[in-house]
Amino acid sequence: MDILESTRQAFALLFSGDAELWTIIWISMRVSLIALALATPPAVVLGYVLAHKRFPGRRILIVLIQGLLSFPTVVVGLILYILLTRQGPLGSWQLLFTQEAMIMGQAVIAFPVLAAFALAAVQGADPRAHETAVSLGASPLRAALTTLLEVRFAVVAGVFNGFGRVISEVGCAMMVGGNIAGVTRNMPTAIALETSKGDFAQGIALGVVLMLFALGISIALGLLQGRGGLK
Amino acid sequence: MSALLSFRHLRKSFGERKLLDLGPFAIGEGEAYVITGDNGSGKTTLLRILAGLEPGEIAGFEFRGVPLTHGRLPENVRHDIVYVHQHPYLFHTSVVHNIGYGLAARRVDGAERRRMEEEAIAWAGVGDLRSVPPHQLSGGEKQRVALARAKVLKPRLFLLDEPTANLDGEARGQAIALIRQLVQDQSSLLIACHDRELIELPGMRRFHLENGKLVAA
Repeated sequence: MDILESTRQAFALLFSGDAELWTIIWISMRVSLIALALATPPAVVLGYVLAHKRFPGRRILIVLIQGLLSFPTVVVGLILYILLTRQGPLGSWQLLFTQEAMIMGQAVIAFPVLAAFALAAVQGADPRAHETAVSLGASPLRAALTTLLEVRFAVVAGVFNGFGRVISEVGCAMMVGGNIAGVTRNMPTAIALETSKGDFAQGIALGVVLMLFALGISIALGLLQGRGGLK
Repeated sequence: MSALLSFRHLRKSFGERKLLDLGPFAIGEGEAYVITGDNGSGKTTLLRILAGLEPGEIAGFEFRGVPLTHGRLPENVRHDIVYVHQHPYLFHTSVVHNIGYGLAARRVDGAERRRMEEEAIAWAGVGDLRSVPPHQLSGGEKQRVALARAKVLKPRLFLLDEPTANLDGEARGQAIALIRQLVQDQSSLLIACHDRELIELPGMRRFHLENGKLVAA
């Protein structure tokens, strides 16, 4: 393997607008962003409720969310596969090996990350923020939204982290997506496939894009932390 | 004097420690009260219980003659009572948004809201702070914005917790001047404080909290 030659080819692929490569990138972005858009609202609500309310089973839920943070994505894929397979309880939905199945899997994977960040953000919020809102006559919903706005940088940091987790996961996407070219082949599954075929150029090109995403997320998080630090 | 807020008994304990064990107490409409007491005597806790921010055991609790079961105060009562923290919290938005927050919560919108915000800004003398991010304000400036944010709502009762604590010089003087105006305007106030000048404001009814009991000072 000539690494230099493969790298040169990789950049040529990237900058020549290679349709197959950019379709893979588009599928990755679409699936991950929709998954995040679906998972974020309920996860943030759950994080807020867990941080703010006291009710039976709260501790168990917190432990469960923390445990799910390190849950192997391939196991999420396995469970979803069993549910979605033709003989499974959700088989009639006919979603196996579709982008929708990948979205479901990635939403499940992102959910605990988003909820854990929201929980930590609200727990770390100044209690006077909520009290001030209530004392000024805010309804419970307005007071909750105000509190979340006060910790928006930490909540958004959770969204970035969730994105980082799902955009790069391979296990679940491979199992429920099936790595079908032009349909469910995303960056991580394509890298795995091309590498196994010995086509390092496309693998490297996609790896570069993934690393750029990771770098972009790190920069965005750094900027957010900087802004949050201005408080 | 008609009672704005009254209770027959108010108790608060933290574990075995009984912090408050108050007998009958009433706040008259248009009256100003100051409560003194050592640190940890329960002044802040009393204000927080009356504001509905902290649970307490209250018997015969009434607001404007209407009996209340303590816990979550009904919306109309919450809108009539405003509590200002010792160190006021300003939302990380803008000074104007902070002052208009309670108005927005009451669905006062448009020109009327802007007029009321401007009136409160002028009253507190914080017009020059409009463009300053709230987290960059000094303690005294935050206190003035918080007082404006409370006054704009025209509450029936102000609960002010140590409004001049940690302020000195001009900032303290400005906060006292605003509170003096509230007293002169016959707003109903219950203030927890140690500040001699505030305690001795004309028209102030003085109480002292000691060993969980409230006594006229």
